[in-house]
Amino acid sequence: MTTISRRRLLQVSALAGGGLLLGFRWAGAAAGEEGGASFEPNAFLAVHPDGRVVILAKNPEMGQGVKTTLPMIVAEELDVDWRTVTVEQAPFDEARFGDQFAGGSQSVVENWEPLRRAGAAGRELLIAAAASRWSVGADECSARAGIVRHAASGREASYGELASAAAALEPPQEPRLKDPASFGLVGTAIGGVDNPSIVTGKPLYGIDAEIDGMLFAAVARSPVFGGRVREVDERAAREVPGVRDVVRIEPSEDPTWLTGGVAVLADSTWAAFEGRRALSVEWESGGGEAESSDELSRRFAARLEEPGEVLRETGAVAEAFARADRVLEADYEVPFLSHAQMEPMNYIADVRPDRCLLVGPTQVPGSAQGIAAALTGLPREAIEVRMTRIGGGFGRRLMADYAAEAVFLSRAVGRPVKVQWSREDDVQHDYYRPAGRYRLRAALDAGGRIQAWEERATTTSRYLFRGSDAPAWRTEVFPDGFPSHHVPAFRLEYAPTASKVSTGAWRAPGHNATAFVDQAFLDEIAASTGRDPVDLRLELLGTEDREVPYDDHGGPYRTGPFRRVIERARELAPWGRTLPPGSAQGFAAHYTFGGYAALVAEVRLDGAALRVERIVAVVDCGRIVNRSGAEAQVEGAVLDGLSAALHGAATIAGGRVEQSNFHDYELLRITEAPPVEVHLVESEESPRPLGEIALPPVAAAVTAAIAAAGGPRIRALPILRALAG
Amino acid sequence: MARISFRLNGERSTVDVPGKMPLLWVLRDTLGLKGTKFGCGRAQCGACTVHLEGRAVRSCVLAVEDVEGRAVTTIEGLSESGDHPLQRAWVELDVPQCGYCQAGQLMSAAALLAGNPSPSDEEIDRAMAGNLCRCGTYGRIRRAIRRAGGREEER
Repeated sequence: MTTISRRRLLQVSALAGGGLLLGFRWAGAAAGEEGGASFEPNAFLAVHPDGRVVILAKNPEMGQGVKTTLPMIVAEELDVDWRTVTVEQAPFDEARFGDQFAGGSQSVVENWEPLRRAGAAGRELLIAAAASRWSVGADECSARAGIVRHAASGREASYGELASAAAALEPPQEPRLKDPASFGLVGTAIGGVDNPSIVTGKPLYGIDAEIDGMLFAAVARSPVFGGRVREVDERAAREVPGVRDVVRIEPSEDPTWLTGGVAVLADSTWAAFEGRRALSVEWESGGGEAESSDELSRRFAARLEEPGEVLRETGAVAEAFARADRVLEADYEVPFLSHAQMEPMNYIADVRPDRCLLVGPTQVPGSAQGIAAALTGLPREAIEVRMTRIGGGFGRRLMADYAAEAVFLSRAVGRPVKVQWSREDDVQHDYYRPAGRYRLRAALDAGGRIQAWEERATTTSRYLFRGSDAPAWRTEVFPDGFPSHHVPAFRLEYAPTASKVSTGAWRAPGHNATAFVDQAFLDEIAASTGRDPVDLRLELLGTEDREVPYDDHGGPYRTGPFRRVIERARELAPWGRTLPPGSAQGFAAHYTFGGYAALVAEVRLDGAALRVERIVAVVDCGRIVNRSGAEAQVEGAVLDGLSAALHGAATIAGGRVEQSNFHDYELLRITEAPPVEVHLVESEESPRPLGEIALPPVAAAVTAAIAAAGGPRIRALPILRALAG
Repeated sequence: MARISFRLNGERSTVDVPGKMPLLWVLRDTLGLKGTKFGCGRAQCGACTVHLEGRAVRSCVLAVEDVEGRAVTTIEGLSESGDHPLQRAWVELDVPQCGYCQAGQLMSAAALLAGNPSPSDEEIDRAMAGNLCRCGTYGRIRRAIRRAGGREEER
């Protein structure tokens, strides 16, 4: 296809700053380290005799910052100058590195202690090596910024000089950790380690990776959910220049593995796309055509008339409603959401008879390996997984369906294959945030106090879709979610609604819907009882600091820190400040995954034209490791939540997603992005989850502000569709 | 197949590809310059932004035959050693999260600054409206462009 010469390629490569053809090599084929024994006390760090410090980043990086944050923890305890550290992405090897995945905002939480120990073990051994060299006691020596000192004699040695000696020592079982008061790196703002490569366009992502001899594949999938290939006319596709093969992919039993389709394999991405365009595929219906968003809405409403599974009932709920001075009731609805991460799905597999190499962006390298093992029959040990930087995850890449396609195709054609999805593929073949409807009722006494809270929900549960052993309600609704445990009587009931639309985890799964519903309803209660919305939350929490059971992950929580983020948001906004006519504030707060968030949104409403002008976000996520990264996670979660609240909806007609690209599946643009003022609560506690925490309350804060500004009560998202009527 | 020559990052480049092939895929698959990103394929997200004769264009909808004899600059050619004022500001302010859209953001911002060295916030928003970022880095993008435009302290 191209006549570009090898020499020219090298010139282009030099121009590009190197790294043109990514050298993904088989394990063991890499050249050995040079120059004597390096000090590698554990899997996470190496100090080389020449003074270089290499720290491995164990988990997949998708923008949540762990490639920087996790090595910072090691570097802190090792006590090295961050500028001397080179960070490398670890290969997938859970026997060496422990769990390697990105999900549930868990990376920093789970790795805080183990990585501190890893760094501290290194420091302790380097000190021991120095003490032994100088024949002094280790407790007479100290380490700072890569140098061990013996204060009494003034002697010092660099870590590099000590590396070989330290390498001969036995790592301690229980290394002594630093006193957090002496932290010099943790708590500071450190830029992402890949930033220089990102701003100069270096190949970092899965989509940039290549293996010699690989083919590019584009897959035609059934436009209607549940459909299968009946017949393919591939003649025209095979005539497209560059097309090498057409392969039918059989769907797997598990709907999260292979959805099936017809793949066109070619010499370039463009040829594969063109070849796919030339395919003529006849699809066999799986009965999905009947499904539409309207039909689903009707089924949701009908489902809420039927009894569901009672997940929690405390206090005398029926009695409270019978005795109530007033009953408030409202239905809320949320649509399917596509992930719309910026890097379309892609994955490379090189399946050989006795081994397999996987390269690409995934939040779950272990799942990719597991699926590859199942599809090829190879043992996991024969499957090497390389993690690339991920151009956005948001839960989409917790599924390894696109990796499964690459494995299937590489095995079928006996060559390395990179599967490349288009944006249309992404929007139309996602594992969507489940759609659902929620009916809320509150029994109020004469003083407007909540005597009972009843919530009945139905969603297109992702666990139901998957046929999982987990109950359908899991991560759809939360029996311990606020205001459960804060009202005299509480009842939560759930009934799943079956759908052929594929569903999955979407940033802050479940909470991205329930926080909207619960917080928006609280705002309605406050408005209808003439009370201040912030005061209402504080009243419910009470003044005593107590522990509240919370059986979803991150629990239990405490009322004290929850109050503090709310009070701090009230103070910083400041809540109740005078705004011009047509403008108003809205408030919402949420606890999940171990993190507390409180938000104040300010909006201006001019007829149906909405402008979100400012959002103040207060978050308590325990100790901050990387201040810049932590603030970025909150800024990003707020704008991501706003993007979904304003625009997000994948609608269904005739069993297919109506949207196809960013022109009709819109994301927030810079012109709509308000300033986000982030305040992180200073905390001495161990780090808690962060990446998802600030997102859930956004929609409720904005809809509350719209109502306060004289606009409608929006109970069905997305907001802009509701405002357009 | 067509033989097409154009200037790429200051050097002459010749490729032998279908003339209708979008410049994006010629850059990425034929020439191996991976910095320009594929996001949507229909000029909706800006991830593929490059400069054509100094103007920001979406390379995903630009047929390579239309750049014959013209000058294209990609993120790899934005500066000699990654030190364009925008690249520096991007690193200093830790703008990227996932980072995937940032090459396109930088190319749009660079075209803006080339014609308007110190744009107002409104001008920044207007020039950057075609570049999507799902991670929500818009606030830092604004600050970085302000910094590169010498308006650091203004809010």
